[in-house]
Amino acid sequence: MNNLNIVQIGAEALALAVLFATPFLFAALGEVFVQRSGVLNLGVEGMMLMGAFTSIYVVSSKGLGADPVIGLLVAMVVGALLGLAMAVVSVTLQAEQGISGIGFTLFGLGLSTLLFKLLAGGVITARGFQSLYIPGLSDIPYIGKILFQQNVLTYLAFALVPISVWVLNKTTWGLQIRAVGQNPAAADAMGVNVARVRYLTLIFGGMMAGVAGASLSIAALPVFQENMTEGRGFIAVALVYFGGWSPWKVMGGALLFSIANNLQYWAQNYNLQIAGSPIAPNLLLMVPYVLTILVLVFARQRRRQEPAALTKPFTRGEN
Amino acid sequence: MKKRALITILIALFALAVVVNAQAPFRVAIVAPSSVTDLAWTQAMYDALGQVQESMGGEGAMEIAYTEGMFDVTAAAQALRDYAEDGYNLVIAHGTQYGTSLFELAPDYPDTSFAWGTASDTGAGQGLTNVFAYEASAEEGGYINGVMAGLMTESGVVGIVGPVPAGDALLYINGFQQGVHASNPGAQILLAYTGSFGDTAAAAETAQTQIAGGADVLTGSAQQVVGAIDAAQTAGAVWFGTQFDQSGNWAETVVSSQVFDWTATLEDMIAQIQSGTLGGTAYNLTLANGGLTFAYGQVAIPDDVRAAADQAVADVAAGIAYPLGGLPEGQFRVALVAPSSVTDLAWTQSMYSALTEMQQQLGGEGAMEIAYTEGMFDVTAAAQALRDYAEDGYDLVLAHGTQYGTSLFELAPDYPETAFAWGTATDTGADQGLTNVFAYEARAEEGGYINGVVAGLMTESNVIGIVGPVPAGDALLYINGFQQGVAASNPEAQILLAYTGSFGDTAAAAETAQTQIAGGADVLTGSAQQVVGAIDAIQTAGGYWFGTQSDQSANWPDTVVASQVFNWTPVVGSMIESIVSGSVGGTAYELSLSNGGLTFAYGQVEIPEEARAAADQATTDIASGAIVVQQELPE
Amino acid sequence: MNLRISRSDFIIALAPLIAFLLALVAGGGILLVLGKNPIEAYGVMLDGAFGNEASLFRTLTRATPLLIIAVGICIAFRAGVINIGAEGQLFVGAISAAGFSIYAGAQLPPILLVPLTLLVGMIAGALWGAVPGFLKARFDVNEILSTVMMNEIAVQLLLFLLSGPMIDPEQLAQGTRVPQSAQLPEASWLARLAPPSQLHTGLFIGLAAAVVVYLLLWRTTTGFRIRAVGQNRDASRYAGISVPRYLMLGLVLSGALAGLAGAVEVTGITHRVVEGFAVGYGFSGIVVALFGRLHPLGAVPSAFLFGALLVGADKMQRTMQVPSATITVLQGLVVIFVVSSDFWVRRYTARRQARVATNMPITPEVTPATPSEVSA
Repeated sequence: MNNLNIVQIGAEALALAVLFATPFLFAALGEVFVQRSGVLNLGVEGMMLMGAFTSIYVVSSKGLGADPVIGLLVAMVVGALLGLAMAVVSVTLQAEQGISGIGFTLFGLGLSTLLFKLLAGGVITARGFQSLYIPGLSDIPYIGKILFQQNVLTYLAFALVPISVWVLNKTTWGLQIRAVGQNPAAADAMGVNVARVRYLTLIFGGMMAGVAGASLSIAALPVFQENMTEGRGFIAVALVYFGGWSPWKVMGGALLFSIANNLQYWAQNYNLQIAGSPIAPNLLLMVPYVLTILVLVFARQRRRQEPAALTKPFTRGEN
Repeated sequence: MKKRALITILIALFALAVVVNAQAPFRVAIVAPSSVTDLAWTQAMYDALGQVQESMGGEGAMEIAYTEGMFDVTAAAQALRDYAEDGYNLVIAHGTQYGTSLFELAPDYPDTSFAWGTASDTGAGQGLTNVFAYEASAEEGGYINGVMAGLMTESGVVGIVGPVPAGDALLYINGFQQGVHASNPGAQILLAYTGSFGDTAAAAETAQTQIAGGADVLTGSAQQVVGAIDAAQTAGAVWFGTQFDQSGNWAETVVSSQVFDWTATLEDMIAQIQSGTLGGTAYNLTLANGGLTFAYGQVAIPDDVRAAADQAVADVAAGIAYPLGGLPEGQFRVALVAPSSVTDLAWTQSMYSALTEMQQQLGGEGAMEIAYTEGMFDVTAAAQALRDYAEDGYDLVLAHGTQYGTSLFELAPDYPETAFAWGTATDTGADQGLTNVFAYEARAEEGGYINGVVAGLMTESNVIGIVGPVPAGDALLYINGFQQGVAASNPEAQILLAYTGSFGDTAAAAETAQTQIAGGADVLTGSAQQVVGAIDAIQTAGGYWFGTQSDQSANWPDTVVASQVFNWTPVVGSMIESIVSGSVGGTAYELSLSNGGLTFAYGQVEIPEEARAAADQATTDIASGAIVVQQELPE
Repeated sequence: MNLRISRSDFIIALAPLIAFLLALVAGGGILLVLGKNPIEAYGVMLDGAFGNEASLFRTLTRATPLLIIAVGICIAFRAGVINIGAEGQLFVGAISAAGFSIYAGAQLPPILLVPLTLLVGMIAGALWGAVPGFLKARFDVNEILSTVMMNEIAVQLLLFLLSGPMIDPEQLAQGTRVPQSAQLPEASWLARLAPPSQLHTGLFIGLAAAVVVYLLLWRTTTGFRIRAVGQNRDASRYAGISVPRYLMLGLVLSGALAGLAGAVEVTGITHRVVEGFAVGYGFSGIVVALFGRLHPLGAVPSAFLFGALLVGADKMQRTMQVPSATITVLQGLVVIFVVSSDFWVRRYTARRQARVATNMPITPEVTPATPSEVSA
């Protein structure tokens, strides 16, 4: 019998939660930039799916049999192109952002499935990014398992958190993004090209969504099945609101959600009972969602800094 | 004719006189359309009578009278009446065409037992109690012959010399064509009927035209075929026979013959008569009950052909393969409406692959059209799709999801000619007056049990994980069966069970699997299309996977030990056959281990001898009822 | 009202149509890649949606729930809240209505049963919408986050009820255990309008809802306040309107209509709640509402056209035997192109406004900074 004690379970759960928080983190960090510049991209889900399919297809033997790094680059390019398209629609043409986002989600879902059917014909697998043990650190009890035995995309995702904070808060770039999101007219008056900034954040956001998809299909589970993200793109957008547009808090949200989600699987695995009776699996499955809402209610954050111009298109001279 | 009847009567009287003071022998008379040496239909029965006679102790114990060549139905009726009048214990009317006359005279001789073939109707519906019926599933042996023929043809052209497109000959020819299609989809089939059972010259001529057309393998039915066999021999072609062993004169030409073995049928009839039951049973010769056997000539059969034939025999006997007796006229059109994709490696794919298999068996797209609408999770859209297909005149419309039931029952009455099928379901709507709905379901818990038994014996860590979608339906049955199997083979094993709450969330299935692997599981199973994520996870961890619904080994041959496969092919075949015969619904089908509906597909994982033996034992025990797999787990 | 038809009126009317056609052209490229003739395919599509009485009824059948949802979405968006949660509100409405009808159906006279069943669905949807509404009003929890989460919770709640407490007793008896509820008593079914089509009286409920919501929003004080809050929260606060209250009301009413849509769908079409019930309707409803320019009466043609797109595309998929994903791509393209065409609509609207000097924005923003409108 191989029974884990509670600490071991905790370590395993955290390690898996970190792994499965990766796609949320990529997508949500990208979305932070997009929203900080005043645009809501609800098309993340579709962009993730396109990234997930194109990357594994390139890597799999049914496709090119390429190195996972190539797959990652392909996912970035595909995501960026979709982000660019979203920018044309929502920035240049000033289309309503919620609806065009849903349009992109439908488009990405449909196209990824169609390509999957035409090119792959059925479920595809590939040898993707493997776990990368950080020498020394990976041997630390528990901590090593949780933090230092992950694949390279997971390290990258978490590394991007402080980088994002730095970019947003300490660089001219970040300043421009925030200005454009807060008060585009003022930014424009100061000589910032509002449209250009929003184009760039949307392209970056699309790229990150593509990488988020790839982090599932060629890292966490090297396999693709149609609609494999199943709403994770929307969760990622929700996490941006959870984190109040702060990368650190977004990371906290992604981890909280993933940890709660992973723990409920453990609760199911070990048939967790309350007052002697087992809990229906579907009720346990609600826990991460309920918890996310509750934490937000009780955390009593400081005033969240919602970008004032979020979802508002900008036309020079109108505002 | 009269003379012959007279002779018969005289013989009968003489026989009667002989046995009056001896112990009364059992007296059997047969009236047949052709000769008792026809190498075909009549000889098969006559020789069987001879064998039964021998085993009963010779002429003293059993008397056989026959009237052959009775193609004239009126004369045959007179012969039948004569035998009955003479007090024969069993009078055999060895031709379908004698049925009307038989049913007329049978009530007049309530103490005489009659047997009638090819037939399945014992007249019970008309109040008759003294008629047995017998038939042969000639399509089964036809299928086997066809499988071999498809593999043995070098020219890719196969000829069939038929008598008339009816009865036993048609069954055989239909089965043969399906066998050829199944083993060699590219083969061309030349089929011609002579319009007669006895026109040997016409059969020879027909065979020669087919040989001229490139055929190097031929078959045919009825007594006329001797002409065709001869033509085949002359041309150096090979022949497949039916009804009787035809290799005697052409050992170098006849590869194999399907042989109708009626002895068991006759023995059972006689035993019933002697115990006072004079009729009511319908017999059917099949591969499964040993009534259909094969006789081989001296043609060298390649090993792979022999192996394919043996496999086909086993599959047909087990109900895994299903040659249709009646083929649709023209193109048969099937439409499938399903909630997930036809490549989902799960529920929908299991049905779609059965349809494509049946399509190949029937001869490709020309013989059977398959239209499908996948991803129809929206019930309203699905209802519209179902109605469209019915409106478009599809012969069979499959509503491949329980959730479609309400809509289906609503629209089915509008299309009384269209056959609908619905699963997972057991309700054909008969109590609502519906006659055009088939229902189908799978006893997934049975295969779950077998998988569980093997899994219990293959785990080294003694921890087994189950990745479920939603605790309901087919998935729950499978999971419950699996847990019972594990408990039976390895009570020590710990089971980690978690549900993802979704059928299609591949990533959640992967994550769930990884928690179980982290928890020590080295063997996993799961259900629904999402499991691909879980299989990949256990592959990475170096463990084993057990699948269900469809064969999941293709992508992970070194990980997937076994998959329970829902084999809908016989269900689809049976539905088509039923539709062809005019019945467009009313049957509820169930896939189980015993009826061949649940089969197993294996990957390349080596299964320990002990586990395989345990699985075989469990399969036998479930099929025999010695083990009953519960659908629900005890609290 | 300005009754003269100017060039800009034409462009305003034609822009979405041209965009729709362009989307079809783009989709035609995909059809060509799939080896299908796009013209034939679109002919089939058109015929499938409008070709005859039966297809027209189908379009209306599919449009009915979308219309009801969209009308509700209009209220939320007018109040300045983005309700992504129609999906979950619909599920909860459907399952509650079904539960009520199954358990109370025998005790009630049919005349009361149908309205009460629908009412229960509305109340359940309203409550599900009240949660994010309350969280928004009281704790300033962003409604996109809470409604996305509430959707997921509703999905699991539905599965929990269907596989356990509310599972069809027949499914237990047969041992098939498929997750679905028992059938609703026939007395609670909505009448069919044109058998054999599935079109039912829910269509009238939808049309009535559109009119009622229009009157509510533009002819009552409550409606005025809802819109005022949506237009400008700060100004409303200064004007003495309780902003949290109307934010919440927007989500509650929106949820009520989504719940009603669920109740209508279950009493009108499926007669039982099944696994996969009405999946995706909530999102389609949002698209319909936005296509209808967030106006309850605009939702009527919008729902009709979207229903036509769904029905026609399904028909095309079947007839041409293209993968169903093609249809999803096409829908995505249509949504993207049509929503983009608003650009020209806005441009010419602005010109016309400048010309006729009336204040009549066609496209209200979600939380617009545009001047408040005077009339519809």
